[in-house]
Amino acid sequence: MSTAPLTPAHGCETCPSFRPAGLKPLGVDATNWDYVVALAGNPNTGKSTVFNQLTGLRQHTGNWPGKTVVRAEGGFQFGGRKFKLVDLPGTYSLLATSPDEEVARNFLLFGQPDVTLAVVDATRLERNLNLVLQILEITPRVVVCLNLVDQARRLGLQVDERRLARDLGVPVVPAAARYRQGIDLLLQTVHDVATGKTQCRGYRSEIQNQEVNRAIDPLVAAIQEAFPGLPNARWLALRLLDGDDRVIEAVRLGEFSEPSPTQASAALASAS
Amino acid sequence: MNPAPSSKAAKVLSQAQSLRWELGAQFHEKLVESIYADAARLADRAVTRPDGPPRFDLDRSIDRLVTSRLWGVPLMILLFALVFWITIVGANVPSRLLGSLLIDQVYPWLRDTALQAGVPWWLRGLFIDGIYLATAWVVSVMLPPMAIFFPLFTFLEDFGYLPRVAFNLDNVFRKAGAHGKQALTMMMGFGCNAAGITATRIIDSPRERLIAMITNNFALCNGRWPTQILIASLFIGALAPSYLAGLVSAMAVVGVALLGVGLSLAASWALSRSVLRGEVSAFSLELPPYRPPRLGQIIYTSLIDRTMYVLWRALVFAAPAGAVIWLVSNITINGFSLAEYIVTFLDPLGLFIGLNGVILLAYIIAIPANEIVVPTVLMLTVLTARVAGVGSGAGIMFELDNEADTMAVFRAGGWTLLTGVNLMLFSLIHNPCSTTLYTIYKESGSLKWTAIAALLPLALGFVVCFFVAQVWRLFVPA
Amino acid sequence: MLHCALQTEPMAAAVSPAAALALGLLAVALAAACAWPRKGLVARWQAGRRGARRVRAEDALKHLCKARFDGLTPTLESLAGAMAVSLNRAAETLDELQRGGFATLAPEGPRLTPDGERYALSIIRAHRLWEQHLAEHTGVAESEWHRRAERQEHFITPQQADSLAAGLGHPTHDPHGDPIPDPERGYVSGAGQPLTRLQPGHWVRISHIEDEPEQVYAQIRAMGLYPGTLVRVIENDAQKVRVWCGGEEQVLAPVVAANITAVSVPEAAETEPPGTMVLSQVPLDRSARVVRLSPRCRGAERRRLMDLGILPGTVIGSEMESPAGQLRAYRVRHALVALRTEQAALIQVAPLESAAGTPRSGEPSLHEPVPA
Repeated sequence: MSTAPLTPAHGCETCPSFRPAGLKPLGVDATNWDYVVALAGNPNTGKSTVFNQLTGLRQHTGNWPGKTVVRAEGGFQFGGRKFKLVDLPGTYSLLATSPDEEVARNFLLFGQPDVTLAVVDATRLERNLNLVLQILEITPRVVVCLNLVDQARRLGLQVDERRLARDLGVPVVPAAARYRQGIDLLLQTVHDVATGKTQCRGYRSEIQNQEVNRAIDPLVAAIQEAFPGLPNARWLALRLLDGDDRVIEAVRLGEFSEPSPTQASAALASAS
Repeated sequence: MNPAPSSKAAKVLSQAQSLRWELGAQFHEKLVESIYADAARLADRAVTRPDGPPRFDLDRSIDRLVTSRLWGVPLMILLFALVFWITIVGANVPSRLLGSLLIDQVYPWLRDTALQAGVPWWLRGLFIDGIYLATAWVVSVMLPPMAIFFPLFTFLEDFGYLPRVAFNLDNVFRKAGAHGKQALTMMMGFGCNAAGITATRIIDSPRERLIAMITNNFALCNGRWPTQILIASLFIGALAPSYLAGLVSAMAVVGVALLGVGLSLAASWALSRSVLRGEVSAFSLELPPYRPPRLGQIIYTSLIDRTMYVLWRALVFAAPAGAVIWLVSNITINGFSLAEYIVTFLDPLGLFIGLNGVILLAYIIAIPANEIVVPTVLMLTVLTARVAGVGSGAGIMFELDNEADTMAVFRAGGWTLLTGVNLMLFSLIHNPCSTTLYTIYKESGSLKWTAIAALLPLALGFVVCFFVAQVWRLFVPA
Repeated sequence: MLHCALQTEPMAAAVSPAAALALGLLAVALAAACAWPRKGLVARWQAGRRGARRVRAEDALKHLCKARFDGLTPTLESLAGAMAVSLNRAAETLDELQRGGFATLAPEGPRLTPDGERYALSIIRAHRLWEQHLAEHTGVAESEWHRRAERQEHFITPQQADSLAAGLGHPTHDPHGDPIPDPERGYVSGAGQPLTRLQPGHWVRISHIEDEPEQVYAQIRAMGLYPGTLVRVIENDAQKVRVWCGGEEQVLAPVVAANITAVSVPEAAETEPPGTMVLSQVPLDRSARVVRLSPRCRGAERRRLMDLGILPGTVIGSEMESPAGQLRAYRVRHALVALRTEQAALIQVAPLESAAGTPRSGEPSLHEPVPA
């Protein structure tokens, strides 16, 4: 099981005028969307490149970590549905307390995007999965874009994306966004997850530390009693134990209810 | 919301709070460790690595070369010298072409057309002599070097070489309390300070980023190079025998640029130990793998994102400056123009610190763009010194093709060698242009730091000129 | 009227350059005297404001409160000493407190009323939260935390303290390991016993270091002892306390050791591999396994290192050195990360035996550096 080749690249796939079948980039015109897609990932994984490929916008990209400072939004149309794409700041984790991480975390938690597209660097999978596992704690509706597979191949790495997809319980799409490879399949996958055609299982990381587990279990039970049907009770418990004020406030006010279509836009407004 | 969940919620919160006291401070770290361990396990299952070390690791070989003790620094100097050389040499021709097109051809045509159309003189003057001329000047001086410099720089960036430069130079900047990446934002600053400020985004440590923003102005930007070159060849080159004049004046300009680098480091040192002492610092410098650069993308990002963006902002600020220049020279009270009153008012201070009123007024008007300082100075000198037969009228900026003619204008304005030297110094050490200040405000989001970035170099400029003037007068009899 | 513009240097001729130069130098010296950090006039003036009456009263309350929790009996003398004022001033302040209903004068000494205790706790809370804020959210040097918090505690309202706590993630302890009083829970005393009372041979974790007096605190810090540091007690008698910490032996005078509180952690013996050193000492082209991040590394810096994946168990290979020195590139989880010497000195590691750094079986294979 080696690196599955990308969709065979015929000449015109790399030329700028090429657009995957069915993709209609909408640029900044993201009105009346059907689905909200959050774009998350570590710094310098090609997140902005993916964003540009999908929306037809041109954010500055560079071979640096952390070029995108302002959160960008754009839109695209695929399979007859309109998607709003929200580019979250590049972060290494969702646990710590930097303003960037807070924006990303708040959007995933309170904006409740329909799909979260996690862009990961195939050459540094370990550090990138650290973030993916944290996203999966919040929501199972995740599509992993295994970016920079061209780099990985150059370094002699073989990434078995099927095994990764099985382990994570969410679709994994290999891509080389710089060369527009894999974008087609990525769109289809995002579409399928958004419309519910593909169901995500969402792997939950085992917590190794017994002391932590002893503390979490009763708290999770209490949270589930207070907010039945909550998908991410354990994550909330972890945040409460970490003293995360935004989450404490949300529990106090009972902000965890059924997702509503207006919620994403309200969170958008408050996050910016 | 019904009250039942909120009482349950309160129970959750108080339970969490007591558990926190039991768990202690180590909790956060245990959690991060656990997630990372899991990520490592999953990554290990999915990734197959080549058996044994690769026969030839290109990234590693390049890294070994560009950071080697022997070759690292010389290679870097060579590469950047090449970039600057291509910029200076390459920009010369298009700059002259643009200048002759916009100023020697379009400008007279505009004037004649307006004259024939019967546009009132003041409207003609304000828009064509003032606004058009100022923006044309900025475009012809600024555009060509930026259009060459930024793509070259972006090429190195896209390839992944720039982080290695930061790696090589970090120790110098560490001692000044700054980040190694400041070497790169400074380098960008030689192209344009506003672009340099935007580039400080690559510094992710808050304190070091502020330092880089505030001190970027000491990198001599390409709007100021022409001033330096002109004044150096007129005043300093003239001191040397004619066969050495070119070399001596070039050395003087390079000396000023190096002084800027030194001041940038000194200011970083002082800032990091005074006002910025309490700001958060968290150094990190990642060295990403090399990537094959994509030429189309490079040209696009460097021209659109950097060159056009900066140029647009400069034009927005230069247009009103052109209007002000024309207005102050053409509004007259009792037969004297506003400019003459202001120059007379500023003269005592200007002369005291070895400059003059004309230069100070030019720097006040030219806050938007340093490119128009020399044309403004020439025009104002002709206006206030009442030089006959030079220039094209009040409020119309000009440059002279002949160095001797330019010198004659300066002599008529009472310039001495001290004025020339202090103008070179003041051109290096004064407040950033308004484009840069606006960018600092946008990037830092703070009026306080923007004010410091404006006032610190300005105050320093006055202090330096003051001391140079006094020492000069003490040792060089008039 | 404008002809003077054509004259050259009217003012320069009027003022002699030597006099101007002297005046200029004087102005620069004056500006420096005013604005110089800590020793300048502005800084001194700020420090002088501490003498206000309310500040004295609050300092007195704090002293009475701390004495109660430490089981000591405060006297007028101890009060004057803690406030650094004369006995008269201390008596005056005590009188004011009594009139305000914050303290009573019992025969055995001054005591706090419940109101006084609540007030004192809010001041202690503000102080410790501010120290935590300085440690986590600013780059202020550690030696200045206490002094700055002493000043700031009087200007933080309980509401501000609450929002400060919220922003800090509701911390339970300040950077010295002191518990932060909780409005609901009141004062929670810290666990552990003084280092002088712990038996030789035990592994202990420092839970608290008293930050007063300043000289003793600085001495403890200089030895590399911080709250959270693991130490092994080697010898403990009336003359000296010897401890093993961070690969070095430290000798403390009993008065110094008494300012350190620690809890016993028997399991630590297994996690401390022999030959522990810091990352900056690992030679180029060799690898090491992270044992822990030093407790000295706090706030943004610690989070950054953790974000990069530098955690206990991570294998790190030392790859290149900057030609200018003081900076090295390390291979961390397949990424090349440059760390300055002083940062790498905060990462305690166990060097791996072979140059190739072959990971032990059952553990994730990390980077395998090429032998030199």
